[in-house]
Amino acid sequence: MNSWWGRLMMKRLCRLVWLLPLTAVLLFTLVSLAPIDPVQAYVGARMSMIGPEQQAAIEAAWGLDQPGWIRFFHWLAHLVQGDLGDSISYNAPVLTVLVERFPASLALMGCSFLAAFVVGSGLGVLAAACQGRWPDRLIRGWAMVISVSPGFWIALLFISIFAVQLAWLPSCCALPPGVTQDEAHWWQYGRHLVLPVLTLSIYGTGPLILHVRQRLIGFLDGPSARHLRLHGMSSTRLALGPGSRHALGSAVTVHLASIGELFGGSVLAETIFAWPGLGQATVKAATGADAPLLLGIALVTVVVVLLGNLLADILAAWVDPRLRIMPQEETLPRLKRLPWLKASARLKTASRLKVEPKS
Amino acid sequence: MKRVMVSIVSIVTRSDDTGKSYRLALFMAIVVTLMIWGGGALPDTMMAVNPAQRSLAPSWQHWLGTDLLGRDMASRTLAGLAQSLKVGLLAAALSTLLAMVMGMMAALNRSLDRLVSSLTDMMLGMPHFVLLIMVAYAFGGGTVGVTWAVALTHWPRLARLLRHEAKTLVKSDYVQVSRSLGRSNLWLARHHLMPHLMPQWIAGFVVIFPHAILHEAGLSFIGLGIEPHLPSIGVMLANSLNAMLAGFWWVVLAPGLGLMLVAFGFERLGERLRRQALPPDRGSSGVSPGQVA
Amino acid sequence: MIFLLVFHTLVFSYWVFHIQSLVDAALGMRNVGERDSASGIDWVIQGVRGLSLMRLRRPLMALFSMALLCSVGFSAASVQARSLVLAIQGEPETGFDPIMGWGRYGHPLFQSTLLRFDPQMNLQGDLATSWVLSDDRLVWRITLRDDAVFSDGTPLTAEDVVFTFNTARDADGLADVKALKQARVVNDHTVELVLNKPRITFLNELVSLGIVPKATYGQGYARHPVGSGPFQMVEWREGAQLVVKPNPYWYGQSIPFERVTFVFGGEQTGLTLARTGQAQMVAVPPAQADQPPEGMHLLSVKSVDNRGIAFPVVPAEGQTTVSGAPIGNRVTADRAIRVAVNQGLDRDALVQLALNGHGRPALGPVDGLPWNNPQAHQVSYDPDAARKTLNAAGWVDQDGDGIRERDGVKARFKLYYAAADSTRQALALGAAQQLALIGIQVEPVGASWNEIKHYMHQSPVVMGWGALSAGEMRNLYSGATAGQGYFNTGFYQNAEVDQHMAQAEAAASYEDSLAQWQAAQWDGHTGFGVKGDAPWAWMVNLQHTYWVSDCLETGPLQIHPHGHGFPITHDLPSWRWTCEP
Repeated sequence: MNSWWGRLMMKRLCRLVWLLPLTAVLLFTLVSLAPIDPVQAYVGARMSMIGPEQQAAIEAAWGLDQPGWIRFFHWLAHLVQGDLGDSISYNAPVLTVLVERFPASLALMGCSFLAAFVVGSGLGVLAAACQGRWPDRLIRGWAMVISVSPGFWIALLFISIFAVQLAWLPSCCALPPGVTQDEAHWWQYGRHLVLPVLTLSIYGTGPLILHVRQRLIGFLDGPSARHLRLHGMSSTRLALGPGSRHALGSAVTVHLASIGELFGGSVLAETIFAWPGLGQATVKAATGADAPLLLGIALVTVVVVLLGNLLADILAAWVDPRLRIMPQEETLPRLKRLPWLKASARLKTASRLKVEPKS
Repeated sequence: MKRVMVSIVSIVTRSDDTGKSYRLALFMAIVVTLMIWGGGALPDTMMAVNPAQRSLAPSWQHWLGTDLLGRDMASRTLAGLAQSLKVGLLAAALSTLLAMVMGMMAALNRSLDRLVSSLTDMMLGMPHFVLLIMVAYAFGGGTVGVTWAVALTHWPRLARLLRHEAKTLVKSDYVQVSRSLGRSNLWLARHHLMPHLMPQWIAGFVVIFPHAILHEAGLSFIGLGIEPHLPSIGVMLANSLNAMLAGFWWVVLAPGLGLMLVAFGFERLGERLRRQALPPDRGSSGVSPGQVA
Repeated sequence: MIFLLVFHTLVFSYWVFHIQSLVDAALGMRNVGERDSASGIDWVIQGVRGLSLMRLRRPLMALFSMALLCSVGFSAASVQARSLVLAIQGEPETGFDPIMGWGRYGHPLFQSTLLRFDPQMNLQGDLATSWVLSDDRLVWRITLRDDAVFSDGTPLTAEDVVFTFNTARDADGLADVKALKQARVVNDHTVELVLNKPRITFLNELVSLGIVPKATYGQGYARHPVGSGPFQMVEWREGAQLVVKPNPYWYGQSIPFERVTFVFGGEQTGLTLARTGQAQMVAVPPAQADQPPEGMHLLSVKSVDNRGIAFPVVPAEGQTTVSGAPIGNRVTADRAIRVAVNQGLDRDALVQLALNGHGRPALGPVDGLPWNNPQAHQVSYDPDAARKTLNAAGWVDQDGDGIRERDGVKARFKLYYAAADSTRQALALGAAQQLALIGIQVEPVGASWNEIKHYMHQSPVVMGWGALSAGEMRNLYSGATAGQGYFNTGFYQNAEVDQHMAQAEAAASYEDSLAQWQAAQWDGHTGFGVKGDAPWAWMVNLQHTYWVSDCLETGPLQIHPHGHGFPITHDLPSWRWTCEP
């Protein structure tokens, strides 16, 4: 645990210790506040065939006849044992539902994450390299436009163009109808992935383009770039070589920190494309008053986002050694060190990350 | 009165950056007023179901075509935007108010400060949309649910910023003097903090606003937002899926484009105000959307 | 912008091509279990490393892979001969466990039931060869066929039936078998079901409860069902599709399809599949049903999926329910108002307005079912008759504001409807317009069910029911269910109606019970029909609309219950394919 990433992990673990319980309490409070009657949501249209006796039995089986705080401790006790409870709308343990649906979401989000990074940073570099000329303006305009357009609307436009008008790509599902997983070819997966991933990734590129562009311009205007240019390095090579390295390190951080947004986008994308993943389950849980499943999904996404942030920090420090917490700082007296270290680290990070002013 | 008018005119007609901001702000304010007023005052006949005019392509009579039930898309879009703007305004106002209260509480009381900052941390650590869904669910969905959902999830960044500002203010001499004169925290907040935090507060409001309407549309789209019998962009887009698959593209184009234009206008305005009123963010000043909202 | 779109597509398709291993690992985790989860992170890292200089060579590669993707995509014919794809929604998210409620509507596919209704609603044996009710109406003695075999090859015996019924009685799912006292084995092929009290509607359980194997029923059953029905499961990808194939052990006729696929997802999924010719049957919303694509035709199925107005029939005297909801309405407590509403509703116009013409007027709660009594609900659109009814009862417009009044009470009420349901909204608004013509002022109020729950004993509400069991009718009109849940919201009570329904429940057979059910609606001097107390004003019965391939012959269809979609599978095993494969 002496390495820099070990220290980082320790710090984050401490954060988890207070953050997770607080989150759990908040989330549980939220779902217990809901005025929706889960029994009614469960029974739905069959209300006429389910007598009052049976309804009472269902209520008792879910423990809904007990006060909120007792239910909370029940839930907590099970949670500690790794049991997230049973999903009402799927009639299966929440964990099973999550495990069942995670792969599809992972494929969708993973591809979108990578695609967004590649395209976003690529366009950012391009914009910075052509600063002020038409590609730059075009790309900046594009980034602005997509950051204010609703993601689900973009999805609808894509379906309209590629699936309905041109009929190139399927607009729904993960596989063609009638094909089982065993019979499916990889390209069938690929074809069905294209539109959802396109939608989801476009949404994530906006901030990334602007960020990379800003960082790269900052570098190109800086003294080191001026120095290299004087030595005869062409602008293109400058932008693609050392410039990209400078910009992409922090781009990774920015991008990883947006994992939460990605999940939000996937809820909408999965609804539109009938993608059998977690997003679909989220909507089902929320509209079907399935509190245990909603809680489970929320907790899992919180953990994923925290992991994403941790990964972002580790990657950032890995790319840029200056961001690591150096071992010699460890030798300072413990009591005084903590506040001082925090402040100084923040200062240093700040000064290093700061964009050099344009001359 | 005359002096006020003159100063407004002089500000609006200035040719520098500030003048541009004010012109944009005035323009957006007019747009919003017109929409809320116009959207609410549309005659019912324009929005009534009309089986004889189903799925008509855009024409002179129906500028943006009609939907599957024969309703005029232009009127529906306008009414939907009005609904979205109302919810967005209310939610953004609540949200910024919450941020203001939180920020000032944190600055004036140390134990509250810890509470506020850990709450802020927690809210920022959670995926935004999931939190929105949870809060909307907690309020049982509907217009009330979506308003609260947006209001209760968009305050943390602004609160963090206002807290920082307010803390600097509290340390300044005149606040310290007031405090030693025995002024209560409430008095300090009212007379010293609030006036100084106003510009940031207004900028925060404008920056949050486009997010509020976009998220409202998203929630309505998945069925947790505005009830389907009210016109709203999210619901219209959700219903347009079927029509679009039959090739009626205009049903999708109009509402989305309208929403995007309004959001874009406010985004630009927010960007300008933010540059003037809020301190620059470190590292990534170009990244506008996620910064304050 | 278009340039960027194309650029995005190209670069992206390159990625699709190359991250296949990740997709495989992710989507096929069950099969490709040996891949470790680190591969995702590897890709991130490699992606970052490879970014800086390799970019320029990639568009070419991407172009190539894009072309490849498209070409292989077009040559794919996914529908094999004689396999059927149905996009009729209604995925049972809770799985295929009859004990938890699977198979209530439509065919349970995997399991078989003791009895079944034929398309004309006559009772037939399925697993049962004879079913006899004891003289005290408490014990059903059921003889089972001896050739029923589960799809895993084990024979179905009396043990399995007894196990299924006893487990369902104790389970907390959507199969309400609480009327059962106990099921017991008589011999290998005979069982006895003992009831708590006489209840002929228990037949509904014999019709809908699929029999599960005692030996293998357990935790995972809902997702891997085994039964003695016509089909067995091939694969269920939750949220996406269910694939089934004929069960070789089934005792029924041979099924002409190698495979039947149910595609889930929203309405738009079905519409897309229909337009691309990938599905042979699709459930479509009525608003869009009129233009089926090439090669398909519209199938509009009658149903008892009804919508009507439930009136509070007791006057407001300050009483409330346990939860504090006020009871009673002084306007609708008058029978004349309720009858006038029934006479003043132009139901044909409502069908056009709210259902795009895909429906039929509803006069009673069970139109077209064997236990319906058409005499009880004789009413037609007649505003003059409605005005006469109101005048005779003393409701007259004295102040000329268009609204009638009596003893200072205006003839007006709020009409609640579920705001999320556009059909109900259209019905409420339409009804309000029509009733204004006869001097009754109706104020439609859209609300959530939680709000409606509070006001439904005080104000009329637009409700929808429609089960294929007379038990539902009993729940809606019995004095015993007054104020219980959504059943009898208006606190309607008529001792004679209750008496008839109790006699119906105590009937010796299904056929014998029908006369008593009909008498409850109108027995010559009272009943709950419009002729009698008229506690409801029924408006419309929905018609469920489907697009069906011209090659698919579904035969006669059973009248549909509440719920668009799955009920159409009721006679799926007897469907035929009429074209060459």
